[in-house]
Amino acid sequence: MTGVTFEVQAGEAVALIGPNGAGKSTLLQALLGQLKHTAKRFEVPTGAGQIGLLPQRQSVTEDFPVTLQQVVTMGRIPHRGILWPSRDDRSGVQRALEEVGLWNLRKRRFGELSGGQRQRGLLARALASDPKLMLLDEPFNGLDAPSREQLIAIVRRLKARGVGFLITTHDIDLARQVTERTLLLNQKQIDFDETECALTLEQVQRVFDHHAVEIDGHTLATAEHHNEMHHGDVHGRPEDPEAP
Amino acid sequence: MDYFTRALIEAVLAGGLAGLVGVIVVVRDRAFFTMSLTHATFPGAVAAVLLGIPPVLGAAAASLGLVGIASGIGRMRAQGASVASGIMLTTGFALGMLLQSVSTTSVNVESFLTGSILATSNGQLVLTATVLAASALALLLFGRRVVFESFDAAGYRAAGQKPIVIEMVVLLMISSTVVTLMPVVGSILAVALIVAPAAAAKQLTRSTTGMFFVAPIIGIAAGVIGLLASRALEVSAGGAITLTAALIYLLALLPWRRFRSMVKTS
Repeated sequence: MTGVTFEVQAGEAVALIGPNGAGKSTLLQALLGQLKHTAKRFEVPTGAGQIGLLPQRQSVTEDFPVTLQQVVTMGRIPHRGILWPSRDDRSGVQRALEEVGLWNLRKRRFGELSGGQRQRGLLARALASDPKLMLLDEPFNGLDAPSREQLIAIVRRLKARGVGFLITTHDIDLARQVTERTLLLNQKQIDFDETECALTLEQVQRVFDHHAVEIDGHTLATAEHHNEMHHGDVHGRPEDPEAP
Repeated sequence: MDYFTRALIEAVLAGGLAGLVGVIVVVRDRAFFTMSLTHATFPGAVAAVLLGIPPVLGAAAASLGLVGIASGIGRMRAQGASVASGIMLTTGFALGMLLQSVSTTSVNVESFLTGSILATSNGQLVLTATVLAASALALLLFGRRVVFESFDAAGYRAAGQKPIVIEMVVLLMISSTVVTLMPVVGSILAVALIVAPAAAAKQLTRSTTGMFFVAPIIGIAAGVIGLLASRALEVSAGGAITLTAALIYLLALLPWRRFRSMVKTS
């Protein structure tokens, strides 16, 4: 992957959009320092826990005997708080849980929470280390509408407090709802611009290649249409172009 | 100290150790690996007897060698850990039988297979206590990390941690436990005493923290009850201990689930 130039400012959300194999995960790994890269300029927050990650849902073992509070405490590991949680660690965990509205459920077994609650729990884990930059990997996959709304509201609140977000997604509507700028990626950079400018029909077609053109074209067309008809109340969702 | 007192103390120590390390085995899904490891210690013990050294040393050498081989094969993606474990299991066992059949010295194979807790020596007591203390210390230091890494390996790496450290600690803990338990309940039965108490604890508690306390208690109960039952009923101690552990697991499994669904419907 070459020729990628982008930035995420404090309080800004950037969407990272591209098909599977486009290099989204590679880019996230590089940002986390897990891959070698030859970038000419590469600046990420380097302090302990300053980058938070919300992994894809299948990455965690959902039927695992841990409480929600234990999961969120894991987020304190960059501060070594996982060994003997200090007062700082405990208050960080509490703040993160309150932030996502799950403090009351902290003693529940993680696997007994609903899908949306688990996702918010993992978001709290990432928040527990007080990150400056949050990487969300397909955060809205498999969530029902209310859970998505809650997640979006949390992201907006955090942005207002100066946290920067890089969000990978297939969901163009969601990119429009929560991100200011969009990085379109398919092995190389297709575009990096304000979300509205980047997500034009032509660009999305280029990124998702031919087999998805119809689907995304349809969504984009109807989104505009719906916007006019229903005052921005858009629920149309592009189908996952990778779906079999 | 008479032989039965030593056996009782060993049942407490071994039950506690099996329960404690069993939690790691259960949360990391390593039951099958542990089983193959227990069988792999068998040829080591037989070879040690033939060489005239303590069986535990032979078992330890064999398990260390096999941990190395297993992690090598396990790294080959196409093979996978369970294939490696399966081959190790049967190979180890076959090797032990072969060694025993060609030897001129008589080897009491049965004691290696089902254990001989009534013949517990003072050395065995010291060994079990040492491994128990070392495992407890390792869990105090690394327990939360092991739980994190087992729960979400990718997240653990993303947090800038090294999974290989966790894997080494875990392998060392499991193999030393297997070697220590072999004289108590034998190669074949050890895995049940390791896995059953932790699996029962998983049913009864909400989190790993609870499991780390409950599983050793169940392990100790299985050891002591099994030993006392074997004396009362004049049956094999290793068999009685293992069956007690399995029974406790079943007890933990059945009523608890019914109770939970009752709570949910009410």
